[in-house]
Amino acid sequence: MSAADIASDVPSKARKRRFNTREVLAALVFVLPFVLVYAVLFIYPTIQMILLSFQKAPLIGAGTWVGFDNYAKLFKDKLFGVAFWNTVYFVALTAVPSTLLALAIAIGINRLKGWVQSLILACFFIPYILPVSVVFRVWGWMFDSQFGILQPLIALVAGGNVPVFRTLPLFMPTVAFITIWWTIGFNILLFIAGLRNISPEIYEAASIDGTSKWRQFARITWPLIWPVTVLVLTIQLIAQFKIFDQVYLFGNGGRSDATMGLVQLIYRSAFQKNNGGYGATVAVVLFLVIVVFSVLQFQLLRARGGDNK
Amino acid sequence: MKSFLKVAMMSAALLSTTGLVHAQEVVTWWDFLGGGDGVRMKALIEKFNEENKGKIEIQATTLEWGTPFYTKVQTSAAIGEGPDVMTYHLSRLPLGVQSGALSEITADEIAAAGLSASDYADSNWKAAQVDGKQYAIPFDIHSIILYYNKDMLKAAGLLGDDGLPKGLDGVDNFKAALQKLKDGGAEYGVSIHSAAGDSQWRIFYSLLGQQDGKFLDDQGQFLAGDNLDKAVKAVNVVQDWVKSGLAPASTEYPASIALFTGGKAAMHINGVWEVPTMTDLKAKGELFDWGAIALPTFFDHPATWADSHSFAIPNRVGNPVSAEKRAAVMQVIAWMNKNSLAWADAGHIPAYSPVRDSEEFKTKQPNATYSVLAQTAVFDPSSVLAGVASPVYDAAGNYLMPAINGELDAQSAMEQMRDDLQGQVE
Repeated sequence: MSAADIASDVPSKARKRRFNTREVLAALVFVLPFVLVYAVLFIYPTIQMILLSFQKAPLIGAGTWVGFDNYAKLFKDKLFGVAFWNTVYFVALTAVPSTLLALAIAIGINRLKGWVQSLILACFFIPYILPVSVVFRVWGWMFDSQFGILQPLIALVAGGNVPVFRTLPLFMPTVAFITIWWTIGFNILLFIAGLRNISPEIYEAASIDGTSKWRQFARITWPLIWPVTVLVLTIQLIAQFKIFDQVYLFGNGGRSDATMGLVQLIYRSAFQKNNGGYGATVAVVLFLVIVVFSVLQFQLLRARGGDNK
Repeated sequence: MKSFLKVAMMSAALLSTTGLVHAQEVVTWWDFLGGGDGVRMKALIEKFNEENKGKIEIQATTLEWGTPFYTKVQTSAAIGEGPDVMTYHLSRLPLGVQSGALSEITADEIAAAGLSASDYADSNWKAAQVDGKQYAIPFDIHSIILYYNKDMLKAAGLLGDDGLPKGLDGVDNFKAALQKLKDGGAEYGVSIHSAAGDSQWRIFYSLLGQQDGKFLDDQGQFLAGDNLDKAVKAVNVVQDWVKSGLAPASTEYPASIALFTGGKAAMHINGVWEVPTMTDLKAKGELFDWGAIALPTFFDHPATWADSHSFAIPNRVGNPVSAEKRAAVMQVIAWMNKNSLAWADAGHIPAYSPVRDSEEFKTKQPNATYSVLAQTAVFDPSSVLAGVASPVYDAAGNYLMPAINGELDAQSAMEQMRDDLQGQVE
């Protein structure tokens, strides 16, 4: 059946009503500003970025077409491999732990009442409003290898001061820990909103039936909070794949080749070394990785969540 | 839309008439001087605007130092926007020229402003050129120096009758002096910023220069031939201090200063830009008697890494800086150079020789003591891979810094650094 056939099946009167010119016009007027901004600020640059990845080009100005050269170079680039695995490692260290921890904290806070609840929630949320530079300064001084307030504690375990951000195996876990501390407030907030949506009557009914706390969590809370969990995890995944600021700041001046993530490789290629084409290539690959991961994850988790219900 | 255009045209007309009334050139100025030196620069700009009222007015903006500044300069120049004049690191000049962000300054323009090459140290003036063309006018020379605690050096018998340190020249002598200071109660003989490549690069490049080593030779080869051995020797010097506990390992920038100002380290190697920090602390009565000298001679002859703040004119595509404006810009540059004595308060050494040779400068301490280093300064290699926030700086973080801290063997660190940088040559 062609499109025209379908159209002819629809009674003309109904069609007229559905595509009322004035309504269409109104809709366009409402949608247009967004579509325009979206096209100019997102679609167009994205297309340009993809085109740029097939060129040898400076950061600014015209380049020359080189086909798949940049991609060939990318897969031979040792640094790309390191940056890719660092990024995946960082996501693994942050996304799931941060989500689970946020859920646990949210359940705890949800049991509190009145101003105590507000106070504790605020305590967890305050770090989230800090700019990354402040987070960097605060933790940089706390861990400082000479004067850090945490060094006496570290010395108890390690037997002496440890320059945490200059010890490769400790770098990513420490930055991941700081990132969770910094950003978990937002996840907690989402979970609390989700928990408050669960009707108390369900728990009441469960208590009357003599259900244990653990079964209440497993059978009621967990399935009902599942959509929020999926949302938090997806937001986390996308955000952490784009890791740049913290790793850049804490690693600056150090062994940055060993600690860099993909966005830092983009930054270095395009902005520092004036190689816009190669930077765009890394960006395209990161873009694809994030799309694949987040679509896969969202679909998988949603399907599983559906089964639970 | 039409009425918008009308308004725009009217305001443009209004602006141009007010411009005519004042007959004054407005020079848009960008710099990256956000620290203590920025305060001193703002004072200089105010003085200029006062003296040149009705003729030239500088409108200055301070941007973020390093890569952000240079990215902004490049992107704005490419679309015909940006300042009329800007500060620029000479070490960063080759990349600036390659990316087309800089406009050549002609000999006539330099002469018309009353400046000449003979007013500058030869190595300094040449560092402002790429392929024999002038792209910048030097403003200062900044380098690293040795800060010292007079009380501690005196107690260790390392202070001469003239109040200056003695017996520090030579690798072994310096190490022995560090040991003496440590034995005398200092936690460290010398504090260094050992957690980052940039500060270590400056020390390393000085030690390499003292052996006439070439980091990048004229054939475009990094650490070729026996230059590699010299580099390894240079690394070993600092590695040895750290290994022997005479200098702190993996220490961050502010902590390295605090070790010195807090009396835990007897000496400190850092840039001249920390002179205001010491001066201000001393003025508040929170610092011991201190001094600063040029880096000791560890090897064959004196040499110290140096860079220059300079002034450059951007190559604004499709909207070049007009001839009248350029003349005004050159006036600004010349004035700044001739008044750069005030700039010495920021620790920097004026690039302009008449100021450096003046009586006022010669009595300015400690600048006058360490300013001899300008004669033997070695500037970063002239390459798009070198300079402030460059691949060479990154490589220093990746290989030099871990070598200093004993994580990498000096020989293999230098080989890896060489191969990495050579691999980045396109």
